[in-house]
Amino acid sequence: MAKKMFYVLSMIVVLAMVITACAPKAVATEAPMETEAPTMAPATSEPAPAEITLRWRTRPDNQAEIDVYSAVSADLDAAMDGVTLVYEPGGSESSSYQDVLKTEIGAGTAPDVFWIPGTDVADFATRGLIMDLKTMADATTGFSATDFYPGPMFHLTFNPATGKTGEALWGLPRDVSTFALYLNLDLIAEAGADDPRELAKEGKWTWEAFRDVAMKVQALGSDVYGYGANAWWGPYGVWINSAGGSFFNADRTACRLDTPEAIAGLTFERQLYVDDKVAVPYGEDSEPPFMAGKVAMFQNGRWATPGVRANAKFNWDVVELPVGANGEGNWLFWGAYVVNANTEHPEEAWKLVQMLTTAETQGKIAALGANIPSRMSQAAFDAFLTFTPPANNQAFLNGIAEKNKPTAEGPLWAGSWPNYDSIMGPMVSKVLNGEMSIEDYQKTICVEANKAFQK
Amino acid sequence: MQLSKDEKALKITKTMVKITICWHVLLAVFGFLFLFRVISPKAFAGIPLWLSYIAMVFVGFLSLGSIYSIIQLIKNKREGRSMSLIVNYVGFIVSVLMLFQNIGVFLGVDALAKTFGSSIAWLSGVLIGYLIHSLGDRFHYRIRIEERLHKIGKYLALIFFVIFLIKAGLWQAFLYLAKQILIPTNLINGIILIFFGFAIWFMWRQKTALLLNRTNKQTEALEGFLFLSPNLIGFSIFFAFPLIFSLYVSLTDWDAFGNSNFVGLANYFKIFTLNLKQLANSSQEFFQVMDGSVFSELLRFNFLGKPYVLGAADARFWIALRNTLVFGIVTVPLSAIPALFLANILNSKIPGMKIFRAIYFLPSIAAVVGISLIWQWLYNATVGYINYFITIGLNSINTIFATSYPEAHIRWLSESRTALLAIIIVSAWQTMGFNTVLFLAGLQNIPKELYEAATVDGAGKGAKFWKITLPLLAPTTFFVITTTTIQAFQVFEQVYIMTNPPGSPGTSTLTIVLYLYQNGFQRFQQGYAAAIAWVLFIVIFAITLLQFRSQRKTGAYDV
Repeated sequence: MAKKMFYVLSMIVVLAMVITACAPKAVATEAPMETEAPTMAPATSEPAPAEITLRWRTRPDNQAEIDVYSAVSADLDAAMDGVTLVYEPGGSESSSYQDVLKTEIGAGTAPDVFWIPGTDVADFATRGLIMDLKTMADATTGFSATDFYPGPMFHLTFNPATGKTGEALWGLPRDVSTFALYLNLDLIAEAGADDPRELAKEGKWTWEAFRDVAMKVQALGSDVYGYGANAWWGPYGVWINSAGGSFFNADRTACRLDTPEAIAGLTFERQLYVDDKVAVPYGEDSEPPFMAGKVAMFQNGRWATPGVRANAKFNWDVVELPVGANGEGNWLFWGAYVVNANTEHPEEAWKLVQMLTTAETQGKIAALGANIPSRMSQAAFDAFLTFTPPANNQAFLNGIAEKNKPTAEGPLWAGSWPNYDSIMGPMVSKVLNGEMSIEDYQKTICVEANKAFQK
Repeated sequence: MQLSKDEKALKITKTMVKITICWHVLLAVFGFLFLFRVISPKAFAGIPLWLSYIAMVFVGFLSLGSIYSIIQLIKNKREGRSMSLIVNYVGFIVSVLMLFQNIGVFLGVDALAKTFGSSIAWLSGVLIGYLIHSLGDRFHYRIRIEERLHKIGKYLALIFFVIFLIKAGLWQAFLYLAKQILIPTNLINGIILIFFGFAIWFMWRQKTALLLNRTNKQTEALEGFLFLSPNLIGFSIFFAFPLIFSLYVSLTDWDAFGNSNFVGLANYFKIFTLNLKQLANSSQEFFQVMDGSVFSELLRFNFLGKPYVLGAADARFWIALRNTLVFGIVTVPLSAIPALFLANILNSKIPGMKIFRAIYFLPSIAAVVGISLIWQWLYNATVGYINYFITIGLNSINTIFATSYPEAHIRWLSESRTALLAIIIVSAWQTMGFNTVLFLAGLQNIPKELYEAATVDGAGKGAKFWKITLPLLAPTTFFVITTTTIQAFQVFEQVYIMTNPPGSPGTSTLTIVLYLYQNGFQRFQQGYAAAIAWVLFIVIFAITLLQFRSQRKTGAYDV
């Protein structure tokens, strides 16, 4: 009898779960957090407020960066009355900086202020993990969002509730960066190819000129490569952008990887990998062979400069990306300092975010050579040009110049960027490895990638 | 009237029982009030979901246990004493943990680890003291010198140890703790802790036990559970609760940030939703026969001359499962068979064999992350050592035999055909050492007389291996295969580190645990990740069960 009752109860429980599974999904998105404008403390003889501690974190790439950020933290600590700053260098990209950070947020132990990449802003904002600083920013004298590059600020001021930009403030960009081609000048000279820097100056630095240099270098030997890039969305996105294509439609609500322009960009890149075989095989880390003097043109961001400075044993410089049908097609990479939604000190945290993005602070960090200041000012550009080598720093500035129409890295407010990337990346890798034809890719990529827009 | 000593003691004991009953009444009343507030969503909106569940279970236990204790203690029954002791013991432990957490003792331990390094030099004084004390032992025949040296050594060690503690921050820690304990919530916590402690003492006393008619069985049970309690508490907190909680999470869409809806079996439905359709021709697109916004193509095949396509709502799960199965099927024999032969070789009494045993065992104790990074470098298609040595080998062959083999450009980790194999090689290499040690232990348990008898009967080395070694090693072989299989099905670190992006090229190295991690910690679909974990558990459980059954049939495990 008891056994029978057990079976009946089990069936009821399972049935209830099945029924629950069929129910429409409740919308769990939390409203973005709004904070009160900071109120000025009354000028009375109240006791001095107790010293508060603010923890902040970035994703440094090396010990030199950690040292500079630590020094910056010490300087800002001295400048902020009643606040003790604790700088926590986060893990590098390869040690899952974001995964660790999200886990800490879930556990309630994340710092008050932290850095996140531009692609993650929507995820953090719509889940209610970071604070909307708009009200405090509006009440702050002298603050202007237009001091920063408009691309990042489009996303950093986007209000997911209304779908409009300029109605929120999720943080301020720490720095910006862009791609250039790191050149092994010795290898290019040995191959008898034209100097890409000269070609760029003459306006002849096109896809075909690029391919020509790559092929000449590759002819030096089977272990020498004309071109190298790492396997993530940045490098292949450049070729798609440069051909006039795009990852998404204009309002970033659907996949556009199957348009003729996007396909033209990918076809050219596939040619480099599969047909011409001038590139370091897709999926292999291109940095070691470049440092070993086996790669002529290594596509990477400004963040690679300190490593090349330290390790390259050959003559090197940089050049802007070759021009396709739609120009360079470069990215404007960025990441932002944001405020933890659960911080106990929002006003101090907002002050810290501003201080971390002043021209002075950015200048100290940019001097390391790893990034470009996120404030648009001629003084910042002039200072950046002095941070040599490479001699041709202008190539980076050209990459993010508005006339060259860089595409700002950005999150997906209408979908899930991690999902989109996890569909797009493997399919592109199959194409560039020669395991999938361009035709098959074109037929299926957006059928699959559009699933990332399903809520 | 003057009360006798026994009557006085009885009166005190009865008073203690009454106080304990009052304490349980308080616990029950406040417990139910608290429970009501936890259930009320507004009252505890700030508490994380998992914490509110733990609080509910804990307080519910205290309240119900207290009511039971009250009833039984009023009836003067021994069951009331047992339950009261259990409730108060659990309450005491939780109160201690909460107090430690609130006053920062756990963080203090971390802080101590930092200050320890700066004051460690003072511990050398302790060492000197110990040496002086030991020196005294050499003066057995001059007792005064011996005693003096012992005394000097002892006090010196003590003084330096105290200095070490002070330098490590003992005073600061005391001051900090004193300040912390005065905070009202901590003070209340401390008082509750004392109440729990007194209640335990009241109930544990011999006289209370006699008053409540204790039996030997009850005493033995209580003492037994008391000794078991550290393990039981650890098991409950770190194993049983996470297990049950993950099962619950798999029935929700929890994102780890507090957003959670009960979705029943929806996560499991998504995993197992498949769609089989017949195609008009073998080149027809799958989305022409099924909804491409729901399904992805998983498999194409011909059956009785007709083309079919199998779609899945989550094709990646099935790809990950396939990769994991392939990984397991290849890795287990690759790490078990060579280990068996290696163990046979290492079992011989050749000089220096212990060094070889240690060398083969090294990969098993080395950090997986470090090993993976080194292998990633070795596997590099352009500047890696593996291709370099293959090329040297090929060049030698070309020179000797006038052949023209090209340079090796094997794309170990960047080509779908080889990437999983490359990871299998690393895993098998790493597991092999540990399996070798297990086989060695098994070999040393085989009686030497059997081999001697076989030699007398004229058996050769091969016959001895197949007829004696292998059958008698069956229990070890079974253990090795079972543990290696379980380990193989949980492969994660090697794939995560060696492939970039993890699971690439394409999805050729995507394994179940990696997919689980991506869902749980990158996309924050904790509910879906938990469902994947449970499916993986069922797969591993089923395979292990099959292994046990097949082993039982042979009876080898019972040898």
